[in-house]
Amino acid sequence: MRKILTIAQKEFTSCFHSWLGVLMAAFFFLASGIFFVILVLGYSKISMNPQQYGLSNFSGLNQTQYIFGSFFSNLSIMLLFLVPTLTMRSFAEEKRQETLELLFTYPLSDFEIVAGKQLGISLLFGALLLPFSGYLAVFHWIGGEFDWGPVWLGFFGFCLLGISYLAAGVFISSLTKSPVVSALGTFGVLLLFWIFDWVDNVATGSWVRVFSELSPLAHYKNFTLGILDAQDMVFFFFFFLYFLFLTLRSIETRNWKS
Amino acid sequence: MDVSNPPSSIKFDNISKEYGGFRALRDVSFDVKEGEIVGFLGPNGAGKTTAMRILSGFFPPTSGRVLICGIDMSQHPHKAKRAIGYLPEMVSLYPDMKVIEYLRFVARLKGVPAHELQGHVRNKMSFCGLLNSGHRLIGRLSKGYRQRVGLAQALVADPPVLVLDEPTTGLDPTQIKEIRELIRALGQNRAVILSTHILPEVAMLCSRVIMINQGQILASGTLPELASCLKDREAIHIRIKDRRDQDRALRILTSIPGIEALRVAGEAGGETFISFETSPGQDLRPRIMKLFVEQGISLAEIQRLQLSLEDIFLGFLKNGKSERRFP
Repeated sequence: MRKILTIAQKEFTSCFHSWLGVLMAAFFFLASGIFFVILVLGYSKISMNPQQYGLSNFSGLNQTQYIFGSFFSNLSIMLLFLVPTLTMRSFAEEKRQETLELLFTYPLSDFEIVAGKQLGISLLFGALLLPFSGYLAVFHWIGGEFDWGPVWLGFFGFCLLGISYLAAGVFISSLTKSPVVSALGTFGVLLLFWIFDWVDNVATGSWVRVFSELSPLAHYKNFTLGILDAQDMVFFFFFFLYFLFLTLRSIETRNWKS
Repeated sequence: MDVSNPPSSIKFDNISKEYGGFRALRDVSFDVKEGEIVGFLGPNGAGKTTAMRILSGFFPPTSGRVLICGIDMSQHPHKAKRAIGYLPEMVSLYPDMKVIEYLRFVARLKGVPAHELQGHVRNKMSFCGLLNSGHRLIGRLSKGYRQRVGLAQALVADPPVLVLDEPTTGLDPTQIKEIRELIRALGQNRAVILSTHILPEVAMLCSRVIMINQGQILASGTLPELASCLKDREAIHIRIKDRRDQDRALRILTSIPGIEALRVAGEAGGETFISFETSPGQDLRPRIMKLFVEQGISLAEIQRLQLSLEDIFLGFLKNGKSERRFP
């Protein structure tokens, strides 16, 4: 466990050694802040004159649902850009600089290496979410009323989605020697998952269900609506394990690949 | 195993390694004992790095067993890997870490207990002359200093076995000398295996040599052993002061039994060079000198050529597969 933590700590701090990490964090704060402000302003605009927006009475519009529900579902699009930059260095950079070779000769199992990296990046992702508590404070300060359950659930769902995406990103990073290829590949795969979510809008048939069941965003949607379903949690659990497993297989290829 | 012999620090037992269809190593076996510095020698692409990587636990062999201090690498990889310090060919370290930060990271991964960590890392840094560079970024260090950091990370956790893959490539002569001195000091109470294609380095550092080509061991033994194995002929060079004496000298030499391949190797500045071969058992030099003096030929130089490591190595490469072993 100490070894996993050591690798996680290294992974966590190495992000702050480069400007890219700092820039990415700043960009993420800025964009999520803008989302939040737009939603709060939008809500207050509707609250002035609900009839104009086709709402018979204003009380039907739930503050928490309107602001935080939409906030979290918009943030899932941000992950498309955030996740590739967080994971691109994990294995690709180590392969490029050939530092991975030494890591494999230390008394560590492959699992400890992968788990350590995954943990470090997940913690980094968690650290990026910390300022969200500031949004809650702002919301409270301007007189908003909370429904704590859906807010926490949205937050929890966002963490699950993010960590699952990170697992996919780490796997793609383990396939290549170039961080840029890793970032582009991860972006492509996440885009594909996003498209899975649209399939049932544009097509009909029983096969459509396969895509919507496999779509992480469809499962995430329930969290933003304040619905906690064991199915969704199981989905993310297996999604994460699946990519963890693929990553382990991928770094094992050194045994037979020249 | 013989009781009087200490167990080998490194034992390579019939190791083969295949990637795809390519056989990088075929049935390689050798062992290295404590206190030995063994040179692992071969042309580029001979399988040196593959052997080093198997030895360091980077990947397992396709068949065969690696024992480190009696521990089977495939059965107890953690224990075996802890007994090894590995300096890879391209010393690639995290450029964005500080030296001390990196060495602490390595010490934690190698399982150095937390309360010893500080002193342990300091100790290795002082051994490798890094005490003043602890807070510098690895990426900003010169190649020689990076090599020292590489050596320091190999020494962390005091492994009884050191595997050094081309430790002096790309260094300047002063740095090479320093690194060699460190290696020599380390070899006294450890088993060191040193892969290189720089032959003089082997002659300087190693007590024993293993030569490898195309994934197979060509020869192994001490340098004199290997030399004697090849030396079925010995070359002698003679330099004569006066060119006019050349014909007389040649006549004398042809009259001596046991001299073959007699020829004039060259002429320069009025001097003549003559070379010939003899069998290694008989030293003809005193007899030749005596005859020349009697005839009044002024002899400037008479030299018996020692086979250098280059000659030995090329000789084995030319002779091909036949594996020679020495007890």
